[in-house]
Amino acid sequence: MRRRAVGQVLLLAAGFLVLVAISALSVIFVNKAREDSGLVVHTVEVENQINALLLEIRRAESAARGYLLTLGPEFLSDHTAAVATVMPAVEKLAQATADNPAQVENARKLRIAIERRLDQFAREMDFVRQNQPAGAVALVREAAAENSSGAIREVALALRAEEERLFAARNIAADRSQRIASAVTIAGSGLVIALAGISIFLVRRSARARDRAEAQLRDNNLNLEATVDERTADLREANNEIQRFAYIVSHDLRSPLVNIMGFTSELEELRADIFRRIAALGRAVGSAPVPVLAGDAEPDLEGADKQLSLDFAEALGFIKSSIAKMDRLISAILNLTREGRREFEPVRIDTRELIEAIVTTVAHQAAEAEAQIRIEPLPEIVSDRLALEQIFSNLIDNALKYLKPGVPGDISVRGRTKIGFAIFEVADNGRGIDPKDHQRIFDLFRRAGTQDKPGQGIGLAHVRALVRRLGGTMSVQSELNNGSTFTITLPIQWTASNRNRDT
Amino acid sequence: MSKPVTIIMIEDDEGHARLIERNIRRSGVNNEIMPFTNGTDAVNYLFGSDGSALDHKGHALLILLDLNLPDMTGIDILRRVKENKYLKCAPVVVLTTTDDSQEIKRCYELGCNVYITKPVNYDSFANAIRQLGLFFSVIQVPSAAT
Repeated sequence: MRRRAVGQVLLLAAGFLVLVAISALSVIFVNKAREDSGLVVHTVEVENQINALLLEIRRAESAARGYLLTLGPEFLSDHTAAVATVMPAVEKLAQATADNPAQVENARKLRIAIERRLDQFAREMDFVRQNQPAGAVALVREAAAENSSGAIREVALALRAEEERLFAARNIAADRSQRIASAVTIAGSGLVIALAGISIFLVRRSARARDRAEAQLRDNNLNLEATVDERTADLREANNEIQRFAYIVSHDLRSPLVNIMGFTSELEELRADIFRRIAALGRAVGSAPVPVLAGDAEPDLEGADKQLSLDFAEALGFIKSSIAKMDRLISAILNLTREGRREFEPVRIDTRELIEAIVTTVAHQAAEAEAQIRIEPLPEIVSDRLALEQIFSNLIDNALKYLKPGVPGDISVRGRTKIGFAIFEVADNGRGIDPKDHQRIFDLFRRAGTQDKPGQGIGLAHVRALVRRLGGTMSVQSELNNGSTFTITLPIQWTASNRNRDT
Repeated sequence: MSKPVTIIMIEDDEGHARLIERNIRRSGVNNEIMPFTNGTDAVNYLFGSDGSALDHKGHALLILLDLNLPDMTGIDILRRVKENKYLKCAPVVVLTTTDDSQEIKRCYELGCNVYITKPVNYDSFANAIRQLGLFFSVIQVPSAAT
């Protein structure tokens, strides 16, 4: 998944890089093409200038001849105008061809040739002005013989030939630049399209993978729900099994207990009979006057016989007290399983009223223990009334039962709500519970601390079972000699749902 | 009991049976007590081989019934007794360890006449049985329908 994402990012980055490269190259090549075109134009311009220059020189020559023949002033002014334009044109040409050494040389030659020709013109004009036409004509002939105009033309042709060569070369260069530019653009575009194609392919592939993963996830969720339902059913079944088991076991344990107890009592009666006879026999042997034994009164025994009788009574006493204890434990288990099978009924409960009622029933115990019970404002909740009564009366009973001797009791019941749950606290200033016993006190038949109060170790186990069935949790904060706080968290809106349905 | 009433005691625990018998005797009841330790034997005796209970026509019976039997529940026996035209008049005393209120209600609905929970405390147990014996000595038991 991660590798694929990295791949896509790289692909996108590559696409952008290609685009940037193409843009840069295009700009470079377009500039190159423009420069090349500029050079081509420049060459054409130079050629034009050469032609124009030659034309002006011709014009000056023909005007000079016309003047010689007619002496007409319009020829003179025409000649002067033409000569005046020649030198600036030469300068311009020299500047235009300054970039090319061959042309610079040609331009220099041209300038020399033209300067010579212009000098000839000036001298011709001087002869004409001094009215010596013959001198001027001779000069013209001389110039014709020297073919100075021809020299100018040759140099100009050389110039033009060079420019034409440049023109051809630059044209080719410009064409090449444009071809390269378009080739780069086409290749880049193709690359971008290819990258885009790959991107689309990858995106579609990952979209398909995602769809598959989603489908898988849905399936897994369904499976998970099914599994949870199955496990819940199993747990419920196991729980019911335990309930039935506990019920049957405790019930069937009672039967033999009745016998043990019954025949122990029978033995007790037998014991009385036996020792009465022993006493009677003992007296008969000792030939003492036989006293009349009144009913069940203990026979008057002496020495070893008395000891025997006492041992007998002690043994029977232990058996009976043990049976009584076992009976209480079995009854407790029976009551717990019965409680576990009771259907809970959610009703709206004014918790404060409920606890006030409990406090009223323990008012006598509270007065004896010099304890005060404070009830702070409590939230109303929807829950099972009887279960709630049992929970709080057990906790308040415990608080009253395990106060510190000689210290006036101070018990408070507090409540608050937090995201759908009501949190109740029953706090006391009693003898407290050693932290190592915090888990133990919630176990059935287990107690902690000084065992100076009657109890079976059932109350808190029962309370916790009830709280759990009501969809809540409970915990204790306590230290030895520093009081205890039992915290109960219950749903504010409890509905008799799954937990209750078939437990 | 004025007439020769036979007490049918259906109790799987022989110890219980012995204690019950002893305490009934202590209360001065001397009627014949027929003990059965399982449901099948008791049913065979009560209803006879053809299941009609014709054998007991005209006899006065009082049934002491435990609910937890090894081979069937006492409730089944109770139901059959109360459905039989000869036996339905016989008083049935359910004497069992169960003190479940649902169970008690069910037994009375089926026509049981007295329901007693066996207390584990022997004094209470003995006392209960003796009082039951005293009760037996004063109640009138009709003969089975003729």
